[in-house]
Amino acid sequence: MECGDFMEKILIIEDDELICDELSKLLEDYGYEPLILHNFSNALQEILQLSPDLILLDINIPCQNGELLLQKIREGSNIPVIMVTSRNSETDEVLSMIYGADDYITKPYNPNILLLRIGAVLKRTNHLIENSTYKDLEINIQKGIIKKDNIEILLTKNEMIIFYYLLNHQNKIVTRDELMTDLWNNNEYINDNALTVNISRLRAKLKSVGYENAIETRKGIGYILS
Amino acid sequence: MNLLKFLKDKLYYFITFIIIYIILFMLFLAFKLDKQFIIATTFLLFLFHIIVILIEYFRKKYFYKELLENSEALDKAYLVLETISKPNFYDGELCYQALYEINKSMNECVKLVESQMEDFKEYIEMWIHEVKIPISSLVLMTHNHKNEFDKKYIDQLRRIEDYVEQVLYYVRSENAEKDYLIKEVSLHKIINNVALKNKDDLLENKIDLKVLNVDYEIYTDSKWLEFIINQIINNSIKYRKNKDSYIQIEAKEEENKIILSIKDNGIGIRKQDIKRVFEKTFTGYNGRVLTKSTGMGLFISKNLCEKLGHKIEIESVQNEYTKVIISIAKNRFYEVIK
Repeated sequence: MECGDFMEKILIIEDDELICDELSKLLEDYGYEPLILHNFSNALQEILQLSPDLILLDINIPCQNGELLLQKIREGSNIPVIMVTSRNSETDEVLSMIYGADDYITKPYNPNILLLRIGAVLKRTNHLIENSTYKDLEINIQKGIIKKDNIEILLTKNEMIIFYYLLNHQNKIVTRDELMTDLWNNNEYINDNALTVNISRLRAKLKSVGYENAIETRKGIGYILS
Repeated sequence: MNLLKFLKDKLYYFITFIIIYIILFMLFLAFKLDKQFIIATTFLLFLFHIIVILIEYFRKKYFYKELLENSEALDKAYLVLETISKPNFYDGELCYQALYEINKSMNECVKLVESQMEDFKEYIEMWIHEVKIPISSLVLMTHNHKNEFDKKYIDQLRRIEDYVEQVLYYVRSENAEKDYLIKEVSLHKIINNVALKNKDDLLENKIDLKVLNVDYEIYTDSKWLEFIINQIINNSIKYRKNKDSYIQIEAKEEENKIILSIKDNGIGIRKQDIKRVFEKTFTGYNGRVLTKSTGMGLFISKNLCEKLGHKIEIESVQNEYTKVIISIAKNRFYEVIK
């Protein structure tokens, strides 16, 4: 989802300093621009001034309740908001959604899952189209087809999930765990061997359209689509 | 109230009466009174006493019978005072008064314990939210500094997280108040969340997860059901066999309910243990000998299921499989008001 040098700004509203630091490091590593809200007493104005692309909002913040802040944000803005909270109850989740949150995730969260949720919310709000391209390949996600000139190659669902994830993180190292998390998130509960098999099949299919070494292996770390 | 026992209780009274009567009888003889007069007096005396005793018996009988029978019939015997009428004889009144005082003091005691429990519960809930913050920090730190932290750190963190979650749901399941919310949710989504949560454990232990036909919308509290399924999956992981393990999650529709079954090919449960697996702190052979277990997971799950109106059952053959079945009613009422 990175378009050139443009980095999406993500505002972290959270009163635990350590979490703030680690969270911004995580977001930075994955190509976002993290912002941290310091002044809670004047939160609303500062938020509107920073105009982030997405807000990670904790419910338990000083000066005011996160849900109230969400309501206030919603009065004047449509910035996507993901509620991040340690309160794990259906009532809190339903309330947050009613107040206009785009997603709700409970602490402690798996960082990969948080990133997937952020990606999904951003994708939804930016109306990114499903048809993407890789170099001169046309990709139709829904149909699971990659097309070069007149050659059409069918990818299985798993291969497409992997390819699409790599494509969205082009030129970056993607760990096996990230790929696995994305697959499981899409209800494909495959094991390690199956992931290896799927990647080699994907490679073979890319080779048949002339991209032999598109997916490189970085030993012990992961894969990279160049 | 037994008449014989009542009379036996009056023994001193009869003895006194007999002695007085003998003295009287001797006096009658000494004064050489008329035989008929003696017979008439004797008859009247005896009759009079029998009547007095019977009246007393029936007055008491009514009160004590009601007291005993009601306190036996009530499942909360201490409420008996509310069901009986106040007696109109002196020792009954004393008894009634004493009961009233005892009751009052017990109610105060119960109230105190209840409010202490409530405080404790609130504190635990707050503490759980608090402790999740450092856990979250640690999870993020281990993720950001993968090179410095071994995977075993992350595993231990996950264990802490699971135990903390168990406490939270124990508190929630023991609480009489309703802090759940039933709404239409996707069963698929719930299972997906549990799968993601256990992904690393399942992959590490080479357990294949098969999820079949779970695309149903159900009425439940998604957080609670997620916890329940998570407990079952945790058990399946814990009591796996070391080869070709799998967990199969499947759902089907039957009349007015959705039946969710979670089956593994693990070590199973011994026949003599299976009836007791839902009991509090029951660990059985598997939990004692093979691994350490708290015996709380299934107990809490059952409690939560009962509150949600779901039914949870377990079947197993030792060394072959364990299958947990959760039946979730499809509530027509919700469909009507939707």
